Amino acid sequence: MSDNAPLLAVEDLSIMIGRQAENLVDGVSFSVMPGETLCIVGESGCGKSVTALALMGLLQTPPVHITSGSVRFDGHDLLGLSVDDWSDLRGDRMAMIFQEPMTALNPAFTIGDQIAESVMRHRRIGAEAARARALEMLERVGIPAARTRLDAYPHQLSGGMRQRAMIAMALANDPTLLIADEPTTALDVTIQAQVLQLIRDLQRESGTALILITHDLGVVAEVADKVAVMYAGRIVETAPVEALFNDPQHPYTIGLIGSLPGLEAGQRGSRLATIPGLVPAPESMPAGCRFADRCPFATATCAEAPPLREIASGHAVACHYAPLEEHCAPEQAA
Amino acid sequence: MIESAVMKQDTATDSPLIEARGLRKHFVTKRPLFGQPTIVRAVDGVDLAVRRGETFSIVGESGCGKSTLARLLIRLLDPSEGSVIYDGKDIAALPEGEMRRLRRDLQFVFQDPFSSLNPRMTIGGLVEEPMRAHGIHDPKQRREEVAKLLRRVGLRPEYADRYPHEFSGGQRQRIGIARALATGPKLLIGDEPVSALDVSVQAQVINLLEDLKEEFGLTLIVIAHDLAVVRHMSDRVGVMYLGEMVEVGEAENFFAAPLHPYSRALLAAIPAPDPARRNATRQATLTGDIPSPTAPPSGCRFHTRCPYADARCKEERPVLRPAGAGRAVACHHFETLEPAEGLPLPPTRSPRVEQRFALYRARRAGETPPRGPSPEENSPGPSVAQPAAEN
Repeated sequence: MSDNAPLLAVEDLSIMIGRQAENLVDGVSFSVMPGETLCIVGESGCGKSVTALALMGLLQTPPVHITSGSVRFDGHDLLGLSVDDWSDLRGDRMAMIFQEPMTALNPAFTIGDQIAESVMRHRRIGAEAARARALEMLERVGIPAARTRLDAYPHQLSGGMRQRAMIAMALANDPTLLIADEPTTALDVTIQAQVLQLIRDLQRESGTALILITHDLGVVAEVADKVAVMYAGRIVETAPVEALFNDPQHPYTIGLIGSLPGLEAGQRGSRLATIPGLVPAPESMPAGCRFADRCPFATATCAEAPPLREIASGHAVACHYAPLEEHCAPEQAA
Repeated sequence: MIESAVMKQDTATDSPLIEARGLRKHFVTKRPLFGQPTIVRAVDGVDLAVRRGETFSIVGESGCGKSTLARLLIRLLDPSEGSVIYDGKDIAALPEGEMRRLRRDLQFVFQDPFSSLNPRMTIGGLVEEPMRAHGIHDPKQRREEVAKLLRRVGLRPEYADRYPHEFSGGQRQRIGIARALATGPKLLIGDEPVSALDVSVQAQVINLLEDLKEEFGLTLIVIAHDLAVVRHMSDRVGVMYLGEMVEVGEAENFFAAPLHPYSRALLAAIPAPDPARRNATRQATLTGDIPSPTAPPSGCRFHTRCPYADARCKEERPVLRPAGAGRAVACHHFETLEPAEGLPLPPTRSPRVEQRFALYRARRAGETPPRGPSPEENSPGPSVAQPAAEN
């Protein structure tokens, strides 16, 4: 692996459902370096999960299809892969953790069998060795009494344990890229803290790159190196994590951070800064900037889609008016 | 906000509006032909007093019994033991008919806006139904009232003829709130009222609840697991663990310095939305899972996960005892533990960020009225979306 080549490079990826006029995911570009953690943040319906599924070759085609763009993983073009090549890649060099471990694990097989299956699929080893690997993985993710849990069925484990088992399965073949779609959303906060800590520790040990999809800015601040904010199918801002929180540029990012309770300077009794209105529906995407109808700074200029432009090293924003204080200075003092 | 509510009712600020005494609810989950039935002790001896006009939040992780407690308080469930005193009356023992009349005062907002509204009723019908059930107003007045309520929660009165599926999650939650307000309640209980919503919509609904509370002089009980929401909304907080209340206190004190080891762990587990504090918040992660409420641990129920537990904790169940400043804690050792770090204060922002927030707020204020949700905050849902820019 050379030093400057990204492990994963997504260029101008567009995804469409059925025959809708506008793309569900529209011209999304990002890259992940080896060992790096990229968080993709956004609210429901922004296209973050669809993007993740596209990277794993898991889109249901039809009705969903990729209309343009390229995805390069370690130098190979993923979008041209055959079904067999995908199967060789998935679970081996790329793996995914899903939000709901109960639906992602097969209820009819024991945890040990499911982990061993993925090891045997990708490694030329026997059942015994695969089982030993499964045990090793369960121990590594901190499942107590791992030996007996090998023979447990998913329903016999708690939510946190199931999520650990899924992480064990995903990491069993030492992937170079792990994609986690809302891995802690279904978990209680003390369990979430355990799982985040686990993901971070494992990532540090193994040097796996991570793409973490979340709606929770708290989680982003905990784990991200780099963040991409998505809104209605487009990336509106990408930045190193410190810059996103200390120098948010896009009005949507500002609104999102302002919507977090307990974050704004005033506390009890203060009102949260809200973003008015709703995310546009996929069948009626605005032609220009997709945030314009909810944006307090929008003008006629915004009928034209703003390109993602770099305003500092590694920090890019898709807004005609960034930085806001230069373009939208208040006429009167507050 | 609290002051104004208190002023409206200054005659009776001292007596609690609703009170639970030794409240228990045990569910039998399995009754085998032979042997002992399996009993879930969902709520196991809770004492609680909620003052008039305050917002009281009950927090805890899944399975701690907070939703059961909420349902017991307005008798959507009958308690196995103990009493609920509302306005001086024990409602746990009230006959059906009288209880039904009392329900005008006690209303509930449910977590899931998708399953709590009858899909076959129009939203006008849904909001009118509680008034009809309680014989409030004649049909014409009721229609006017429905229009008023819809407008108040930020929906257009013209939507009255539409069905729930035509609305987004946040809008449905507003409908649920309008419905709860229809009978003119004194107490509103919200069971995770915003946890199913996206952050930006969540903020809108939190603002709405706070406005309505002030306007209608409501007492609010909020069940939540999101402590950031709780800190923003609450006057007082109660923490539950496995069916028991382990700590009660003023929100401000509680978040500044939680006393119970479980409260400490809960606060420490919240991911701080501030990358600079990433490693500082990570020392006190709890190990282990929440034990099953069918077989709670002996003694202090938290002793299996508590870093401070000793032999006494395994045997003797601690009771909730006063801890000064109106707080109460159920822990044998809280006095001797080293002071806890509270929830970190919001990060101090660079002037540039402050400037942008100010700019954002100023712009928002310039285009919409500063108080109350404006109609355009909730202009039509997905099925009727109109991309026209606001001005």
